[in-house]
Amino acid sequence: MKATVENIKEIIAEAEVLGDANEMKNDIALSEQGIDSLDVVNVYLLIEEKFDVQIPDEDLAQVTTIDAIVEYVNNKLV
Amino acid sequence: MLGIKNIASYLPQKKVSNYDKKEKFELDDDFIENKIGVKFHCVKEDDEKASDLCVKAFENLVKKTNIDKGTIDCCIVVTQNPDFNIPHTSAIVHGKLELSQECACFDISLGCSGYIYGLSNILSFMKSNGLKNGLLFTSDPYSEIIDHDDKNTDLIFGDGASVTYISENPLYVPKDFSFGTNGKAYKEILCDDKLYMNGRAVFNFTATTIPKHIQKLLVKNNLEDSDIDKYILHQGSKYIVDTIRKRLKVDESKVPFDMYEYGNTISSAVPIILEKELNSNHKRLLLSAYGIGLSWGSTILEKN
Repeated sequence: MKATVENIKEIIAEAEVLGDANEMKNDIALSEQGIDSLDVVNVYLLIEEKFDVQIPDEDLAQVTTIDAIVEYVNNKLV
Repeated sequence: MLGIKNIASYLPQKKVSNYDKKEKFELDDDFIENKIGVKFHCVKEDDEKASDLCVKAFENLVKKTNIDKGTIDCCIVVTQNPDFNIPHTSAIVHGKLELSQECACFDISLGCSGYIYGLSNILSFMKSNGLKNGLLFTSDPYSEIIDHDDKNTDLIFGDGASVTYISENPLYVPKDFSFGTNGKAYKEILCDDKLYMNGRAVFNFTATTIPKHIQKLLVKNNLEDSDIDKYILHQGSKYIVDTIRKRLKVDESKVPFDMYEYGNTISSAVPIILEKELNSNHKRLLLSAYGIGLSWGSTILEKN
């Protein structure tokens, strides 16, 4: 399964973050859209589980926005 | 039959407010109350040691139940912040409580999972050696090792202690235990002078390992969620407790969360809650604790 903006937003909603995931901007950092440091860790874990990929700590700067997450995950799946 | 006869705990009166740290760590009330789940954490006096907290827990136990100190033949302390490197803290507690010289004493060096390991150890040791009355203490004063500039640890941990009285005619008896370790990840919670914790690694460990571990223990014992009256989970943070509960698909009412006013007391977290549930008419309780090591353990307690 490839990552898309839609399924990443579904995962963000599954993490039960504050606010509506569908209303989130794709190119703005999650941390600037009300997702706190604990929620974002949960989002990364759900992504790892859903796509069977690993996001090591040293790569976290590459996955700050929804667009960046989609690109990162799909590069990992190649 | 040996089992848990009674429990008492001690929480220092001195408290530090996390609301006073909002500016320093850029926090809001929702994060303090609904994510960390610690509004205040208890801090011992500077001149108090782990053994002093144990003694105060015992003083609270004596207020609840008649104990002849002369009959205590086993005394175990779970701690990783002992009074000294040498000797073992249980010997110091033994001396302060003036227990009989015919009493076995030893420490167990474990963190968050320590109460579960301690319970299994004291019961096995007492049964093997024909002992009748034991005290299992937990006391890990983390205020001695906290880096007050580290948001990952400074907001969470509190000082506290517990004592579990093990004897005949108990209220609860363990039906089964299960334990685990991931030693390759030992660096994720480490103290070399000051405490370090990799919050993401610890969250991932608890969210992925612990629900499966609990499910496996239930299956092994032919039990289902409906057979468990309460799940007493280690109070790592509210976020961790909520995450494990959701992954287990267990109703919120069955998973007490209690550390708002005192913080994560490490190996004392589970017995502090168990003390409050001890006299309820629960048929079966599941206790689970996890953290430093990385180490985890769970047990199912049944009403005697």
